[in-house]
Amino acid sequence: MADLVEIRELIQAALPGADVEVIDEGGGDHLRAVVKAPQFEGLSRIDQHRLVKAAVRERFEDGSIHALSVKTSVPG
Amino acid sequence: MAADPQLKERISELIQEHPVLLFMKGVPEAPQCGFSMRVVGVLDALNVDYGAIDVLPALQPLREVTSELSDWQTFPQLYVKGELVGGCDIVEEMFESGELAQLLGVEQPQGAEPPEASRILPGGPQQSPPMQLG
Repeated sequence: MADLVEIRELIQAALPGADVEVIDEGGGDHLRAVVKAPQFEGLSRIDQHRLVKAAVRERFEDGSIHALSVKTSVPG
Repeated sequence: MAADPQLKERISELIQEHPVLLFMKGVPEAPQCGFSMRVVGVLDALNVDYGAIDVLPALQPLREVTSELSDWQTFPQLYVKGELVGGCDIVEEMFESGELAQLLGVEQPQGAEPPEASRILPGGPQQSPPMQLG
């Protein structure tokens, strides 16, 4: 089971200054991360998603997250 | 763990050969995960021909391959013209915005919302049969 707070903190640490929301979509292992970050400026969607997924890769690898939906945007 | 070189080469070839290629869990007629089902639904709504690879028989080896090829480890993965577009989230966003139709060179369907995650209609677009990777 993933700890929502921990996931949010992992993403926050990887993207300082970002607006991060992590929601449990069911079962504790299907999560949704909504991330608004200035670091996304100029990046393709896929690169934005890569940044978020890289932040939580360990939790994927240890099985605490089974699925992570990601929605990214740039502030302003 | 390093990707199997032969598998990586074969996958790389398939990605280059097929203008639209979906790595999914299950097959288009019977997706085995909600996200894969949704991507199939989008492609069907756009009425495009696409190839489909069922990753379930070789999940870990394929994760290793796509990790090295595209720095992406989760499925489904949609490739268009040899490039990774993304997974379900990105595909749905691009479908809604019209970008995906544009990328694929097809018309945006009217009243475009992500289609119901339901069955493919009979007489839908032709898909290549599930690919043998062996």
